[in-house]
Amino acid sequence: MSENAIEVRNVTLHFPKQRNAFIMLLDVLKGKKRRFTALKNVSIEVKRGEIIGIIGRNGCGKSTLLRVMAGIYPPDEGKSFVAGEISLLAGLGTGFSPHQTGRENAILYGSILGHNEEEMKSKLPEIIEFSELGTFIDEPIRTYSAGMKARLGLAVASAINPDILLIDEVLGVGDPNFREKSKKKILSMVEGAGTVVIVSHSFGLMKSICDRLILVHEGVISANGDPAEVIQAYHTMND
Amino acid sequence: MGGVEQAFPQLREVGAKTSVWKAPVSTISELFSHRFLVRNLIRREVRGRYRNAMLGYLWTVIEPALLAIVYWFLFVMLAGKPDEMYPVWVLLGVVTWGCFGKSLSATVNSLTGNARTLHLVYFPRTIFPVTAVGANVVVSLMGSLVILPILYIYQIPPTIHLIWVPIGIFLSGLMALGLGMMMAPLNCVQRDVAHFTRFLTRAGFFVSPVMWTAEMAMERGTWGAYALWNPMATPITMVRHGLMGKSIDLPMQYVYASMISILLFWIIGTMIFNKYERGAVKYL
Repeated sequence: MSENAIEVRNVTLHFPKQRNAFIMLLDVLKGKKRRFTALKNVSIEVKRGEIIGIIGRNGCGKSTLLRVMAGIYPPDEGKSFVAGEISLLAGLGTGFSPHQTGRENAILYGSILGHNEEEMKSKLPEIIEFSELGTFIDEPIRTYSAGMKARLGLAVASAINPDILLIDEVLGVGDPNFREKSKKKILSMVEGAGTVVIVSHSFGLMKSICDRLILVHEGVISANGDPAEVIQAYHTMND
Repeated sequence: MGGVEQAFPQLREVGAKTSVWKAPVSTISELFSHRFLVRNLIRREVRGRYRNAMLGYLWTVIEPALLAIVYWFLFVMLAGKPDEMYPVWVLLGVVTWGCFGKSLSATVNSLTGNARTLHLVYFPRTIFPVTAVGANVVVSLMGSLVILPILYIYQIPPTIHLIWVPIGIFLSGLMALGLGMMMAPLNCVQRDVAHFTRFLTRAGFFVSPVMWTAEMAMERGTWGAYALWNPMATPITMVRHGLMGKSIDLPMQYVYASMISILLFWIIGTMIFNKYERGAVKYL
């Protein structure tokens, strides 16, 4: 049947502009809508096994697009479809609890990312080893440095093995040594995952690993295709 | 249709709407399939609350006990000498009502308070209100251990009816969950809801049998009888009667009314939550 792993069909997404209740009520009565349109009639197809990069300026809607695929924002119009298990890597260490130990937080974060108990138990030794935290793993993470927290976050996040992996700017955490290691780990995840969508500003990396790039500008797709050409289009757009 | 095709997962719609009518039941199955996450999140809440406190979890007992002393003093000043069990009734009232009040405000704020997480990961959003209530029920259950010294001091023989103590506390949490789920999505749009809830909890404290008991109300005739229609009267009285070694001893119409409201709040709460949580995240 379909060879697509992700299909975004004519998705339009608005964000409401916050007003006080009185003005909101007036707007409802007048039938007026104050909103910001983040995505305008966007359609994307990603084939199984493809590695896609999304680029664009800050606030152009690329992260929003990723979150529509992950199911975080429901589209106002259109629909999005995925085939298989999907996982979004964003904000490593979301939900960490400063007063629990590294080990407890690894389990907590793992369960937030969708693991069940057995999976977490079997993956924990590997996670702890990768995080390079040593005996710190049994200390409360409020005693951790930012880099240590990031390392633990990445160690947990990279232990997952979804059919589709969405990555939102999580490269480049920790000291240079660990950064190299994390880059390698993410690249190996990218290879293992089959289908990957990456949002990033590091064009060098994107060029080397992506099969195709998509340029998003003000909520619409303005280029889609060969990485070098799309990056070229990005630079011309900025001139 | 070769076997190869079958090996690949089929396309499915992301965040496909589930029927609002099925929400009261589908919520339960979602929670069951995410029980590991729910447990971990509740643990995070409970651990976080008593961090860096010398007395730690003892505060779950100390806090209601101190409050009860204040209310007892107030009552003696206003109404003269009450019976010797009165401080115990107040204490149990404070624990059970506290479970309801804290659960309610935690549920209403459960989406707004987790805005960051909501934007970064997806799991069934029902988990937020449920963990908020779960943590408060756990804390209140720990607080209810205060009955152990009471049993000793008042020489009350422990009976099987003590089981009504945790049941009453659990029911008060369940009621707060249903009510809170009706309001949590709206609170994302307008935070006025949280302020209104705070008023509701404070007013409810006096209207519910916290500082008074069902027995006192029944002695007061008509108005007292009206007061017992309050759905929170049953869980609180259940806890008190359980301690005394009997199952709830209230006219059954009040008990039924309370049980039906808990069920209705759950049904309506899960339906409203199911319908509006999807859009609510955009307001955060």
